[in-house]
Amino acid sequence: MKRRMTILLAAALLLAAAASLAAILRPAPETDRPVARITLDGELIREIDLSRITAPETFVVTAADGGSNTIAVEPGRIRVSAADCPDQICVSQGFISDGTVPIVCLPHKLMISISGGGSDLDGAAG
Amino acid sequence: MRRRLLSLALCAGLLLGLLSGCSCGLVDADTQVFAMDTVMQLQVSASGKAAAQGALDGAVAQLNDLDKTLSVSGTDSDVQRLNAAEGTWVTLSETGADLLKQALELCALTDGALDITAYPAMEAWGFPTGTYRVPDETELAALAANIDYTRVELDEENGRARLPEGMGLDLGAVGKGYAGDRLAENLRAHGVSYALLNLGQSTIMAIGSKADGTPWRIGVQDPAGEDYLGVLELTNQAVGTSAGNQRYFEQDGVRYWHILDPATAAPARSGLASVTVVADSGLLCDGLSTALFVMGADRALEFWHDHPELNIQLVLVADDGSVSITPGLRDRFTIRDPERGVTVLQ
Repeated sequence: MKRRMTILLAAALLLAAAASLAAILRPAPETDRPVARITLDGELIREIDLSRITAPETFVVTAADGGSNTIAVEPGRIRVSAADCPDQICVSQGFISDGTVPIVCLPHKLMISISGGGSDLDGAAG
Repeated sequence: MRRRLLSLALCAGLLLGLLSGCSCGLVDADTQVFAMDTVMQLQVSASGKAAAQGALDGAVAQLNDLDKTLSVSGTDSDVQRLNAAEGTWVTLSETGADLLKQALELCALTDGALDITAYPAMEAWGFPTGTYRVPDETELAALAANIDYTRVELDEENGRARLPEGMGLDLGAVGKGYAGDRLAENLRAHGVSYALLNLGQSTIMAIGSKADGTPWRIGVQDPAGEDYLGVLELTNQAVGTSAGNQRYFEQDGVRYWHILDPATAAPARSGLASVTVVADSGLLCDGLSTALFVMGADRALEFWHDHPELNIQLVLVADDGSVSITPGLRDRFTIRDPERGVTVLQ
């Protein structure tokens, strides 16, 4: 009886160990490709895998108040190339290519941030 | 023999449990808030979804309250009422009085390199509205003469303040850092041990480490490029960056940025392109990064030497792209491009 309990317990522990091992060895989610997330007032409107861009392209996003930003995408990087906001901060920021600092157009509540790209950052200053 | 096997299995199980990052039961939640003229991103880990979401909701409400009190553009904020009072006394909220006190102390500590009364100059350059222009020298001299934090009167006992007519106050250089301190205080009091508060592009506050026990990895932007300069490891501290490329306009080939030298009312050209400050307090990081940017490398280093009690660490990037750090960051700052040297300041 006692022996059976011991075997059971050992088996349970081994199973737990194997499960943990599987959890550790499970392939990590793919974070090495830079993906740009474009949000308007917090709502995701488009996600672009920047590593899959082969030719430059531009498109326009329109905010709730009617303001618009022209977004230019090139292989590995993204920028706001034109906007009708008063301060033009989003345009003057230029291209971003990693997760450092997002592009923000405050008047239009637009944000472009990049995740992945191998830098594995939790936040950015600057 | 059997017992040995058993204990072996037990050890293996425990070890693997530990290795798999026993953030057991912790749930992450994050949100984005538009406040204080910037976009903020808050993320917390807490035991259970309800706790995490509750902590976030509390933080967002607190942030919106702070914004209402401190905003320079908001109607009926403490700052707006002070600026409109034409030299009369204005009763402040408890928060407003507390921040004003701390801000004035920081102005004094930096000998006016940080000055919260530069708002009329900011307006003259068009930074708050985006209608940019370059004021001429006569105008700048007049503006500079009216930048003087020592003329702000704070009556702590009665919770009121007074600003001479013609002067204007802006707590933007310290407000985000102050908000970070207050939010962190509140979250910690509610038992949150892991959180990252990104209070806009310049100020970040970490509560604890990441839930797996490793430090938060914060990218410091290269002021001259589109990449990050390096990675800063942050645990239970704040970081603030001031840089000339954060907000600027160009006219006739000259770049004019939003960090003004209180002595000249014009963009501070001190030879530094960016200053990053790591400290326990968000307010300190926020205010000092601006002040040290204005001071330039030599005076910044002198300030760092003179104030060991502040326990601050610095990353300085000069206009020529050279990078220097204080010794406390030697093991916590990793430059992205190893070819680019880092000088450790002494």
